[in-house]
Amino acid sequence: VPGPGTARRRLMAASCALLSTGAARSQEANVAPPDSKLLEDWSVDSALAYYHEDGRIQAIEPVVDVSKVYADGEALNFNATFDALSGASPNGALTSHSPQTFVSPSGKASHGYTTAPGQLPVDPHYQDDRIAVGGNWTVPITRLDQVSVGAKLSDEHDFFSATVNASIAHDFNEKNTTLSLGISNEYDSLNPIGGAPVPGSDYALSEKTGGGKTKDGVGVLLGITQVMTRNWLSEFNVAVDRFHGYLNDPYKITSIIDSAGNTTGYEFESRPDQRTRKSAYWENRVAWNSRWSTVLSLRYMSDDWGVRSDTAQVHLRWQFSNRDRYIEPTFRWYRQTAADFYTPFILDTAKPTTGNQSSDSRLGPFHALTYGLKYAQKLPGLGSRAESELSVRAEYYQQTFDERMPVPVGLQGLDLYPGLKAVLVQIGWRF
Amino acid sequence: MKLNRLIRLILAAGLLTVAGCSSLGVKPWQRDVLAREEMQLNSDPLDAAIDDHMYFSKEASSGGRSFAGGGCGCN
Repeated sequence: VPGPGTARRRLMAASCALLSTGAARSQEANVAPPDSKLLEDWSVDSALAYYHEDGRIQAIEPVVDVSKVYADGEALNFNATFDALSGASPNGALTSHSPQTFVSPSGKASHGYTTAPGQLPVDPHYQDDRIAVGGNWTVPITRLDQVSVGAKLSDEHDFFSATVNASIAHDFNEKNTTLSLGISNEYDSLNPIGGAPVPGSDYALSEKTGGGKTKDGVGVLLGITQVMTRNWLSEFNVAVDRFHGYLNDPYKITSIIDSAGNTTGYEFESRPDQRTRKSAYWENRVAWNSRWSTVLSLRYMSDDWGVRSDTAQVHLRWQFSNRDRYIEPTFRWYRQTAADFYTPFILDTAKPTTGNQSSDSRLGPFHALTYGLKYAQKLPGLGSRAESELSVRAEYYQQTFDERMPVPVGLQGLDLYPGLKAVLVQIGWRF
Repeated sequence: MKLNRLIRLILAAGLLTVAGCSSLGVKPWQRDVLAREEMQLNSDPLDAAIDDHMYFSKEASSGGRSFAGGGCGCN
């Protein structure tokens, strides 16, 4: 027989559920106790992340996100991110047995660099700062429908991006099911340092066009969220997006090699000027008991560049007995096939027939593993807030190339596919 | 187009979810576990955003959970 405590908890849960303005997606509002003072407060989520690649880029990224949920379910959210990136970025050229000399994108003689034999060519002077701000406004329009609109701006030295999005969500089946439809429109402007190279042109001639380049994209996302059981929540999304415009990385080049394996020159990369991606995403949240819960997500993505990818990620959360601390190991597995025009090098006897080529390893065939661990501790709240949370997490990310092209004898013995190893450390404070 | 096993699994799961809508779910007074912080979709938005930024910069895929975005892809 349930005791009075159980009955009280169920009544509280029921009143929370009745106060909800949306189903699963907006249940964050339900978590806040129905205290008008608390609801009027802004809640703040902040983090400082440090990202470090083995021998390449490092980044420091502070992020802050403030949100306010009104008693009627209306919600406002603003966020700001700053990124300071520096280090060495691969320029796309192939490792060689001979020293290789490159000019910097800016053309400054002092920023030219020489890569030693056997080393992956990287531009050692890579540096950029990025600032991004965003906002989102969600309004319930009926008891079962809500509309959300948002915008995001991101600015860095050579790149500016503006995105707007809108979505509508409808609850039914006693708010156990939510259907949502969103659209997004992005406009990007690129101003590459030293000008935008003519795609596919000879690096030595440095053929560049003045002025900026643009690209724009439109995306549609259809989602369904379903409460499966009392302790299982499922979300399924399908999305399509299409980008059009200058999709090249203006700083990436591809080595041209002869049949003996000697580098005879370089070419600027040349990607198609449009790309359509499709994805399916399935996420499941299950609370096994009062201590253990898991989040399992699977994603499949394909695009018309020939990239197919599979992603599986699992978070296991273990709460300490009084739920004031938790520890969360994470594991992620990712695999992608190469873009059709990916090539680690161009043989001077076999120029690509499509006219498109890129040696950007991010378009190559590889798999990646991420191992992560997070620890979070609840602390007394500030002012009128009920509590705050301090967290620390670390991740190790490793990319490994999967298919290796046969290479001329002159390139044998070189590590042409060095992969990538990176560490992320993050502290977070939520109040 | 030949679909691989994972997409078949995801699609099957999605169809099951949709087909099961009418019989799945809970009553309003059974939402105690679902109201827990860890059961909220995107319960750690900053962790997700920071991870997405890392993967977005290093892989050819992005998005899925939400909009993917084009980005600059220049690092």
